Amino acid sequence: MSRTFRWTTAGVAASAALSLTLTGCGVGGGGSDDSGAADTGGKVAGKITFQTWNLKGGYKQYFEGLVDAFEKKHPGTTVKWVDQPAEGYQDKLSADAAAGNLPDVVDMGPEAARTLADAGTLLNVAEDDPEAEKDYLPAAWKAMTFKDVKGGTYGYPWYLNTGPSFFNTALFKKCGLDPKNLPKTYDELFDQAAVMSKNCGSKGISMIGRLPTIETFGMYGAKLMNKDGTKFTFNDAKGVELVERYQKLYKGSGFTEESLNALQTGEADSFKSGELGWLPGSSYTLSDLKKTAPKVAESVAMGPLIANTAPNMYLESLVVNAKSKNTATAKAFAKFVTDPANQMAFAKKASVFPSSTGSLEDPYFTKDDATDEGHLRVEAAHQVGTSVVWWPPAFSGTSDVDNLREQIAKALLGKTTAQQALDDAVKYANDRLAKQ
Amino acid sequence: MSRQRKRITTGSAARYAALVLMFILLAGPLLWQLSLSLKGQGDDLYAQPPQLVPSHPTLSNFTGVLDRVPVLRFVLNSAVVALLVVGGNVLFATSAGFALARLRFRFRGVATAIFVAALLVPAEAVIIAQFLLIRSAGLTDSLLGVALPAFVAPLNVLLMRNAFAGIPDELEEAAVLDGAGIWQRFLRICVPQVKGVMAVVAIFAFVAAWNDFLWPLIVLSDEQNYTLTVGLNMLKGTFYDDPRLIAAGTIVALVPIIVFFAALQRFFMRGLEQGGIKG
Repeated sequence: MSRTFRWTTAGVAASAALSLTLTGCGVGGGGSDDSGAADTGGKVAGKITFQTWNLKGGYKQYFEGLVDAFEKKHPGTTVKWVDQPAEGYQDKLSADAAAGNLPDVVDMGPEAARTLADAGTLLNVAEDDPEAEKDYLPAAWKAMTFKDVKGGTYGYPWYLNTGPSFFNTALFKKCGLDPKNLPKTYDELFDQAAVMSKNCGSKGISMIGRLPTIETFGMYGAKLMNKDGTKFTFNDAKGVELVERYQKLYKGSGFTEESLNALQTGEADSFKSGELGWLPGSSYTLSDLKKTAPKVAESVAMGPLIANTAPNMYLESLVVNAKSKNTATAKAFAKFVTDPANQMAFAKKASVFPSSTGSLEDPYFTKDDATDEGHLRVEAAHQVGTSVVWWPPAFSGTSDVDNLREQIAKALLGKTTAQQALDDAVKYANDRLAKQ
Repeated sequence: MSRQRKRITTGSAARYAALVLMFILLAGPLLWQLSLSLKGQGDDLYAQPPQLVPSHPTLSNFTGVLDRVPVLRFVLNSAVVALLVVGGNVLFATSAGFALARLRFRFRGVATAIFVAALLVPAEAVIIAQFLLIRSAGLTDSLLGVALPAFVAPLNVLLMRNAFAGIPDELEEAAVLDGAGIWQRFLRICVPQVKGVMAVVAIFAFVAAWNDFLWPLIVLSDEQNYTLTVGLNMLKGTFYDDPRLIAAGTIVALVPIIVFFAALQRFFMRGLEQGGIKG
């Protein structure tokens, strides 16, 4: 299973909450790791552990250099870097959190961070350091600030990702559409999707390969949550309108049955096999296409991400363990990794985008060097400036996502109305949130 | 005559058709992995219809696996865990099976029932509690910590119990008359009768230990100690995967299992025949 957007695996929610309650009745005599009280005002010294998620394979040198530089800058500190494998990260995080084994600085997405923060495992980094806010893009800082967890900010924003729309122009030509006139709005997208399925639907070709997700609702203009971040509200008029558009498309067989259950990987696979006209991608989709599906890559064209409000982006953050014995060192290190220079270096290596203030104005992100990749980078970087992390951290990456998809599928199959489907999805997510 | 021959051919044709179907079902995915691992950068992995024969065959994916992951180190770790688990299961499941089947003691029925009940508990449900236990024993990040919970699997105990229960009482009674003690009856009389099932237990234990992912992932944190399944996960790309590399890793992980099975195949087949009810 490929993990194109890293947040998906952040579905710690339910499982972490469950296991954290276990600590109370766990086996006695726990180790020494969880005994140290937070000494926030302390000196930057001593040993800390820094955990990344599946970054060793591609970026080993970068992180080793980072650790060396930090240790040189702050003599007397030792940073132990551990990297966790791609699969099962949420299970590892919940087990470690339950056992008081969480490393001092940990790489995770907002959803996982919110769950652990709710359980009191993470440090509110804004509490004694409100100045830090100005060092990061407002949208990124906001995404790590959880209104329903005492309004605290539970991690330093790290790298961002967003990307353009990818279109298979060969399919556009084949199915009676003009590849020079690629859809830029939802109206154009759904109109052209109808034409494509009318001409090519019998060959299993369609424009859209996946049901709308919670981010799609945000981009379409539905209000996802109330002001306090305590209740979901995406069953409003805009949300219903979006589902009705998919309903209409499905009736005109512009949406295959197979796609009703498609996840992000399924959508990408269909695009790679040349069965899909449109793929909302990210900054690394192009290299992926070139590597695994060279034929489709030849006829691919890029356009802006389609959104009524603001485009969507995803965020990774570095959180600090509230029970760290060297809080000062852990905070200093997390800030060091997320400072403009280090974020910039990482962004260049990994084709992601920095969340540090001002970094996007670097010529690397503003000057098109006339390659496909350079063009993509500049377009996407420009998009980051206006993007929002639509994913509400309270929306569970496992149960809520599945339930929403199932409800919308029901509406498309005609078993329920769009309004009823969204009402049910909202109720389900709210009930789960209330139980936490 | 001719009618009979015809009937035989239709019968065997159907049989062969079923066999071929099973072969495609079982070996197909494996064959696809193998083909994927041999495809070069020029190959379109998503070509329609799918290509089984690589158009740019290469072994570079295998060298890529070896470059990126210290396979030998992980194989060694996995082997240590597998050896511990196989040893533990063969030794203790055999002893426990013998006790449950052939010794008379109070609560024997209860003890057997507990093993059956243990079969029904899903590993995921107790994994956190198990981790806390291993942690308080100071065994986190050690191969012993990985092996310990799998040391005696209830299924294997029950397999051994059934195997021992199948030995005719007369055999043991004769040994008693000859003056054999309990240990002699266990080692000299009963164990030789169930060697085949012991091989089955060894294979089950080996495959389970070799393939386990979640538990070693939770226990281990230092890369030095990773087992092969956890270590091979490093082949996944951070942002997107190269399916060729992952396929090559899968093939590499499969080789030891095939070797182990081939070595024990003789016993394995005999064990299958012996398993279950026997005179």
